[in-house]
Amino acid sequence: MLLAFLIALFISGILLWLVRPHNKPIVGWLSILPPGIITAWQVLRIPEIAHGDFYSESWRWMPSLGLEISFRIDGLALFFGLIVAGVGAAVALYTHYYLEKAPRQGYFYLALFAFMASMLGLVWADNLLTLFVFWEGTSITSYLLIGYDHESARARAGARNALIVTGTGGLAMLVGLIILGQSAGTYSISQIIAADGLRESAYYTAAVVLIFIGAFTKSAQFPFHFWLPGAMSAPTPASAYLHSATMVKAGIFLLARLHPALSDTPLWFWGLLIFGGITMLIGAFFAIGNYDIKALLAYATISQLGILTMLLAFSSEYAVLAVVVGTLAHALYKGPLFLVAGIVDHATGTRDMRRLAGLLRAIPLTGIVAVLGIVSMAGLPPTFGFLAKELLLETGWKAIGYGDTLAGWLVFGGGAVAGALFVAYSLTLLWEVFLRREADVDDEAHVHHPPAFGFVLPPLVLVLLGTAAPFLLGPLAQLLDPAATAISNETIHSHLALWHGFTPMLITSLLAIGTGFLLFLGRGNYRRFLALLPPNLRGVVLFQRSLDGLYWVADRTTQLVQGHTLAAQAAAVLLVAVVPVLAALSYTSLDELLPDMGSQPIGWPELILAFLLALAAWATVRAEDRMSAIISLGVVGVTVTLFYVFFSAPDLALTQLLIEVLTLALLVLVFYKLPEEKRPPMERLRQIGIVFVALCAGVMGFVLVLFNGSPAMDAGTAISSYFIDNAVPLGHGANIVNVILVDFRSFDTLGEITVVALAALGGYALLRAPAVRLPDPLQRQHTSKTEAGKEEIASDA
Amino acid sequence: MPELYMRMLDRILTPVLLILTLFLLLRGHNLPGGGFIAGLMAATAFQLQILSRGEAVVRRQVGRLLHPGIGVGLLTAVSAGIVGVLDTGFFKGLWFDIPLGPLGSLEIGTPVIFDLGVFLVVVCVVTSYLLGLNAVAEEVDA
Repeated sequence: MLLAFLIALFISGILLWLVRPHNKPIVGWLSILPPGIITAWQVLRIPEIAHGDFYSESWRWMPSLGLEISFRIDGLALFFGLIVAGVGAAVALYTHYYLEKAPRQGYFYLALFAFMASMLGLVWADNLLTLFVFWEGTSITSYLLIGYDHESARARAGARNALIVTGTGGLAMLVGLIILGQSAGTYSISQIIAADGLRESAYYTAAVVLIFIGAFTKSAQFPFHFWLPGAMSAPTPASAYLHSATMVKAGIFLLARLHPALSDTPLWFWGLLIFGGITMLIGAFFAIGNYDIKALLAYATISQLGILTMLLAFSSEYAVLAVVVGTLAHALYKGPLFLVAGIVDHATGTRDMRRLAGLLRAIPLTGIVAVLGIVSMAGLPPTFGFLAKELLLETGWKAIGYGDTLAGWLVFGGGAVAGALFVAYSLTLLWEVFLRREADVDDEAHVHHPPAFGFVLPPLVLVLLGTAAPFLLGPLAQLLDPAATAISNETIHSHLALWHGFTPMLITSLLAIGTGFLLFLGRGNYRRFLALLPPNLRGVVLFQRSLDGLYWVADRTTQLVQGHTLAAQAAAVLLVAVVPVLAALSYTSLDELLPDMGSQPIGWPELILAFLLALAAWATVRAEDRMSAIISLGVVGVTVTLFYVFFSAPDLALTQLLIEVLTLALLVLVFYKLPEEKRPPMERLRQIGIVFVALCAGVMGFVLVLFNGSPAMDAGTAISSYFIDNAVPLGHGANIVNVILVDFRSFDTLGEITVVALAALGGYALLRAPAVRLPDPLQRQHTSKTEAGKEEIASDA
Repeated sequence: MPELYMRMLDRILTPVLLILTLFLLLRGHNLPGGGFIAGLMAATAFQLQILSRGEAVVRRQVGRLLHPGIGVGLLTAVSAGIVGVLDTGFFKGLWFDIPLGPLGSLEIGTPVIFDLGVFLVVVCVVTSYLLGLNAVAEEVDA
């Protein structure tokens, strides 16, 4: 059922791409259906799963490696799955209005639905490797969505940075997951969570550090946080969905998922506390310095992600509940706020807060959504955001009570500071964009394109859910408790309430709100202070510097290895192949390697062929002009084909012959028309060098073939006898070569044809590059070297 | 305009080559042949077309199909592997007997479908190279 859901999402993405929904408004509304059905299905599962009656299914993928596609919906998976599918349904409708009349709307839907499927697969996964596959799926679809506007350099840079950071983190995480799977003896997440003793494993530290890198890069934790503001060049539906409500929570999800198995060690505790805490403060501190609404929200998101990471350091009931409530509250206020930012952009043509004012009167319904969202973001009572903040403070307070004084005060104090900053930037956003009468600057933006009702509906529904949530805590516990239970591995019955009496938390909260209000009043000075900070210390700049450094190294290496003639390049490649083979052969004695020659008599036909081959090769090398060289090379190839015929390898012979025909035709075509090239004769030393390399490669080939039949290399015969015995019974084919290609070794073949396909794309680009367009010989003599260099650079760009 | 003998050769040889391609593709699993060889054979047919009719004509006819063809080929190959997941794992070969009444029965399996994917990739890749290189050659000529 779950796999069917994911496949259905992919297929509906493809369908949306094909029907080009920008022409057909009804299709935008229909796009709610796939995520909507999945949401409804999950909602119906809530009671079962609250009873501990989990839903699971699995498919064998590569049993020998422990690789399965397996899904298991427990409380946590259901909780995240509902957010992904529910917000997804809202964003699907919103997209149709946001990308109104955009011809590439269908493409956006394709990437969006592919992302949705990956994200759902990720949260439902019950196998570390399944999880990884879907994790990478979200990175790639996120790249496509950020780079949707591929003609903008900013979008391309943002997409690239996000992909490099999350992709690298994903690879580190893969290593961590494999270490974890190997030391647990299973890749099944439910078994790993149930297992004991992982913390005592010698590989615990390595696994946790690598998994941290994966989670921190994905969830934009310090020092990797800089990719998230860059990702804001994505169209707003993607920002709201991926970079606020779902994908950036994947790291949080992973930490929560593995929390029962890995938490409660100093490494886990301090690692998450410190990095999460720094991220929380950095995000909250810098948010107000941005005039772009989306950038401000991005920093606010970073801060919230920091809070969630920090809370996962703890195992107490309050911490776990704070994670769950914080995640849901954030999805239900930050998602709509991003969507509102998109509506504002759409309606006025700008997201610059300096040019905006009074939008509550101009577009009232959107304004109401914004007010409800912002109040929750600020954590003012009685909102869901307020409840999340109370739980955060309570976590710190309780930790102090249990004797974790330092950590407790860090959380409590940090949470209070962040709370004040949250209030400051929330009020700034609310006042400047929606309430004040006139903008800072003269060219105030006005609403020229009021939003349609369908455009405002998605954020309205989400924000109303968020507003109603704190008053429906009883029924909501059915969803929240199982999720919290899955994180802490102990049954949790929450008693959430908005009003706890005059606790230290409430007083601190009120103090933070007051401080935040003062900061809001002094926001002019605050912003001027932020503008004074040196821009070169920003993560993006540092990252770009290190990328430039990497490109420089790559450029130098390429110059060194490939900057010379074709012969020199080929020599480098061949020598690299020869050296390890010779080194490996030195480990065995010659007696072992020499095969028994007696059983295979050499006849006249072979001798004649070998003579022909040598003659043709000699003629190729000594040929005066290109055409004779090409023809002698063809003779070499055909002679090799004859060898295959003699030794009864018809498949090889056929392949070789066809390739010979094609290459000969091409070489003749291309070289016949190339202008005659006059070059001085080659220097003696270089000639000797080339002959030496050619001899080395030839000797290596000869020696390898000769030794292939020897006892030391009997591995080869063992494999071939397996193929010979099993081709007919298992492979249903009498042509062993073909059965090997398409059945026994089909995975290799798949890799090969993928490489071939990529080579075709590379070749296509190369053949269309201006450098290939050869100038005629007369012109060429006049072209100076510098100009040729310029042309090359132009073709690289 | 290409010479007369080339056009005659094209008329006669292209159908033969294409039939041979089909023949090699279908019998590949039991006798010499298979997707790779059939793909190369089809590419030689295209090369003959290019020689006899010119690169521009062939590009107009099939040029648009080549890159999508590579993708379709890869997808075919991968989906042949994915079918195996329904049984015991990725790339598990599954075989079906399709009864054809008096003609006996046709044995078809996922490896055959995989081979079809290989064929598509090879023929599209090689033909796109052929078109590209011929274009360069013709441009130098002009």
